[in-house]
Amino acid sequence: MAIRHYWSMAVAAVGFRLVLVLFGGDLHLASRPEVSTPLTSLRRLAEGYWLKQASMSPYSGSMYHGSPLLLSVLGPLTSKRSGGHHSHIYCSLVFVAVDFIAAMLIRSTGRTLQMARNRSLKSLDLRKSVNNSVNVSAGDTASLIYLWNPWTIITCVGSCTSPIENLMVVIMLHGACSRLAPLAAFGYVMATHLSLYPAILILPVALLLGYGPDTPPTKVFLQKGLSANKIDMSDNGKGTSQKGFGQFSWKPILHFILWVFIWSCYVLLLNSIILNKVGGLQEMFEKTYGFILTVKDLSPNIGVLWYFFAEVFDFFRSFFLIVFNMNIIFMVLPLAIRLKHRPCFLAFVYTAIVAMLKSYPSAGDSALYLGLLGLFANELAEMQFTFFLFFGYIGVSLLSPVMHNLWIWRGTGNANFYFATGLAYTCLQTVLVVETVSSMIKHDRKLRLLTKA
Amino acid sequence: MEPSAKEDKQPKPRLIVRLGIFLASHHILFSALCCSAGIMALLFLPSLAKNTYLSENALIPGSANPLFSSEDVTEANKFIKGIEAAAGESRGGMEMSKFIVQQMKDLGAEVCYHEFLPHSKHFHPLKFFTSMTNDLAVRPNGTYSNSGTNTIGIIRAPRGDGKEAIVLVTPYNPQKVQANEVLSLALGFSVFSLLSRAAWLSKDIVWLSADSQFGEYTAVSAWLNQYHNPMFVGGVKHEPDGIAEKAEFTDFKRAGTMAAALIFKVGETRNYGDRDSVTMYAEASNGQMPNLDLLNVVHYLAVHRQGFRVNIETISSLLSSAWLRAIAEVIHTLGSILRKINPDWKLDITASDYVEGTANLASSIYNQALGVPTGSHGAFRDYQVDAVSLEFSPTFYIRNENAKSSFLVRGGRLLEGVVRSVNNLLEKFHQSFFLYFLTAPSKFISVGVYMIPFALLVAPLPIVAAALADGSRKKGESIDASKTKGSADNLPTEVGSWKWLQAARVLLVIQLWAVIVSLLPYYISQIPDGTPIQSSVIWVVLAILTLIVLYAMFGSPYSAGVEWKLLKATMITSISIGLGLMSIINFATAQLGALIVIPMCLFSRPLKAQLGMSFLPRTVLCASNILLAIFGFPPAALLIMKGLSKGSWTVDLGDFWASMEFLWEWSSATYLYLFLVHLPCWLLCIHVLLHPCRQVGSKVKRE
Repeated sequence: MAIRHYWSMAVAAVGFRLVLVLFGGDLHLASRPEVSTPLTSLRRLAEGYWLKQASMSPYSGSMYHGSPLLLSVLGPLTSKRSGGHHSHIYCSLVFVAVDFIAAMLIRSTGRTLQMARNRSLKSLDLRKSVNNSVNVSAGDTASLIYLWNPWTIITCVGSCTSPIENLMVVIMLHGACSRLAPLAAFGYVMATHLSLYPAILILPVALLLGYGPDTPPTKVFLQKGLSANKIDMSDNGKGTSQKGFGQFSWKPILHFILWVFIWSCYVLLLNSIILNKVGGLQEMFEKTYGFILTVKDLSPNIGVLWYFFAEVFDFFRSFFLIVFNMNIIFMVLPLAIRLKHRPCFLAFVYTAIVAMLKSYPSAGDSALYLGLLGLFANELAEMQFTFFLFFGYIGVSLLSPVMHNLWIWRGTGNANFYFATGLAYTCLQTVLVVETVSSMIKHDRKLRLLTKA
Repeated sequence: MEPSAKEDKQPKPRLIVRLGIFLASHHILFSALCCSAGIMALLFLPSLAKNTYLSENALIPGSANPLFSSEDVTEANKFIKGIEAAAGESRGGMEMSKFIVQQMKDLGAEVCYHEFLPHSKHFHPLKFFTSMTNDLAVRPNGTYSNSGTNTIGIIRAPRGDGKEAIVLVTPYNPQKVQANEVLSLALGFSVFSLLSRAAWLSKDIVWLSADSQFGEYTAVSAWLNQYHNPMFVGGVKHEPDGIAEKAEFTDFKRAGTMAAALIFKVGETRNYGDRDSVTMYAEASNGQMPNLDLLNVVHYLAVHRQGFRVNIETISSLLSSAWLRAIAEVIHTLGSILRKINPDWKLDITASDYVEGTANLASSIYNQALGVPTGSHGAFRDYQVDAVSLEFSPTFYIRNENAKSSFLVRGGRLLEGVVRSVNNLLEKFHQSFFLYFLTAPSKFISVGVYMIPFALLVAPLPIVAAALADGSRKKGESIDASKTKGSADNLPTEVGSWKWLQAARVLLVIQLWAVIVSLLPYYISQIPDGTPIQSSVIWVVLAILTLIVLYAMFGSPYSAGVEWKLLKATMITSISIGLGLMSIINFATAQLGALIVIPMCLFSRPLKAQLGMSFLPRTVLCASNILLAIFGFPPAALLIMKGLSKGSWTVDLGDFWASMEFLWEWSSATYLYLFLVHLPCWLLCIHVLLHPCRQVGSKVKRE
């Protein structure tokens, strides 16, 4: 069931962005802590570019912490000024295009997923009973959610580089879903290079390349095979087709690894060329990855780490740095084992967890995982607490600027007020992750029960 | 496999979930209890007020003997004579400020003029989220004839580092000189001259004689704006025409960060009471208050040292109202009963105290809720400076020399004492409360107490929303269960979990409409020569047109077949978010809004659905629905308010425009509340009331 007026809605979303880019200069979104972080701020990028033009290391002065590649791609655009508009208009136009491409890639990923789903449901003879209840076009829904999500819009308009990071993750998923190892490897290398955390997405990507897109668990197919065999022992064709599911093929993975190697060498080479004479690769790693991992900048953002590290005693700092960074790693393996049959969904869960626990989170990270959430519209139709989550997100995103205003401008509040919003936001995300995972598992269980019947 | 599947089907919910389900199933009782408790708590607020106390130890008011003496009074009298002479030969008020500058220069102070333009009326309710400091100061160039001139004198503190300052402000109107304004200038000058000799000063003193011909607030805010936003006008020196000696003072001079500001003026002579009185005004924009310690210092020194009577604003009509007295009696009896139960509950204040406290509290809540500052101290609060306005009301006639000099001595000592206390501060004011209501000059209700009625009023909202959303889901599930009875597992379908999306869409369309309606005045106010009535008619017509267009674009709320319960649940959730946000921005507005909106939301029920009920509950429900829907409509509410307070029931659309203009000019968040929270809620309520209530059977067919 495709969504009516898809294209007009998509074009309207792009048009809305353009209107905001051209006339929304007074919104000052770029200075909001929810939108731009020290890593993604375009103002910092402009500063880095300026330093580099002056033959200095772009990382000197602790202003810029992004990739040198962005510097040479977006840098020249930041220095161009046009009267009457806000300063980074050309970059913003680039981001609009980037958002649109990302949405299109999400759409085609959704199509691939939908096809895989229909195929596996067909082989389970469940098409009718499941599709009766819900059948929306996942790709269209997801890309529309991505395009019309207010957070994506403010990220796009708000002069920060998050849209590009998101695009790389989407490229990676798209490449992995359509089993294009070079594309997936490119997305993976770039996303990791730009913001480090997507590195943990190697597991879903490997599973995607190995097993193919999301399917019901292997157990269901085995069961189906068993009952089918009982009914009709002679039907060999079906048995072989079921064996196709759940088989892990190593070839694309080796392919992927090879390409990852090639792309990383290429990216490092480009970086070292760009940074030639103005600081080396080591400084780059220190100032980007080091900056991410050691949480040096404690200016407020919507996460929870800034507050914690502002409070913690210095001699405990390294301990807690290890704890917080390991926190993300701890969750990787158990989730991968539980959700190995649904690698795309696993990637969504990982991005949500990263958005929650990363050191400098912003609305852009949430925009990515909320967009990906739409891909599983059919499977998550029975999710609980959706009403609560929806209004919770709205409430938090309105509360955050108010609390910030109370603390910074009016002086009647304090840091705790703003941090409370961050806590509430993290709780909401936790509820979202827990609910999505549990309803996905429930969905799988339901499929199992239906096959048995 | 089999038993585990059974277990999964009916897992035992957690305690908190069960508690939630319990509350949701009794939501009507729960909301009735909570709302009545909230209103009771609101009525008890005046008896819960505590006495104020100084929490910052560094202030130590009144610990030093005041130095202000009769010599300074002589000084003040000389100043009065001089300035009256200057005012006599005044041309456009310039002579007065020249005289003041001369006097200040003689004291050895640094002096400068500050020219400003009258503040033009603009539509800026959204300024709340940016800060006031983003404005660029506009310096008038010589061509403007009607610019105002502030006169500023700065004493550099002998023991200070020039990083902090205390500001004294005396507003006066040079175009129309009045005896009481001259007296307040003289008071300011005599205090200033005393401070210029004080050896103990550690903060600079800034004396601003504000030119109030365009209103005090304009003058003070223009000065503050330029003080905080340096202008870099390279080399463009402008010479005010004709006044050569003034040019040397046009360089803007600054002292350090402002620790506190005192605005004082001598008001009209009032003949009540035996003592001179001081009225404190503290409410700044959007219900912000200065730190309570500042008010405490003023109150302590005024009452206990200088023998003034201290007043705060009050709604005097309440003082004589009979029904309030009746309530007071009831509260008093209740309080004394409670006291008998537990002697620690000191709730039994006397009826007259209660009435007075309520009148003061009502005025305090009203002023905060309006979000418009009550004086020029509001301009300071926008820059996070604690400020208070003091209006002296002498009981003597201005020409009475003896009484005047005694008044000058006491007023001067009060100001000196306050300055001395603030001078002792090591940090910004932060110890005491910022969020409070005053029920008397020395009694306050802190945020922890006044939150209770509001919290009680808001508490039922999420419960009712959950109950409604859940109830509608249950219904969906049962239908689906009957539909899919054949299959092994009962499949709750999309209908169950995501059905609210339609209702959310209705909500979003209405919110979009509200945003458009709230922004319309920006364009309407640019129509030249529009009378208020024309403007408001245009506004209403455009609002209705926009609503029709939006419905044409996105489909009307009933066409999608939204269940009224879900619509109501969505409305209640949105209103609880809105009220929650507003309670952080401006608590008083949220409190008053909650009193209207919450009953309106909770009572709303489709008129068609009421047909099935028996006669009595139906009429009661219907009547309350209609009454609340009328009272909840902002123009109607305004009319009723006006009618109740003034007794005039003429319907004038222009009034509505004028009062809204008043709100947005002052960038009051109340305007945003009215149009982004209250109005959409009201419209949704109307939608719920007029809901056609088609049978669910048709929906099943559709799906």
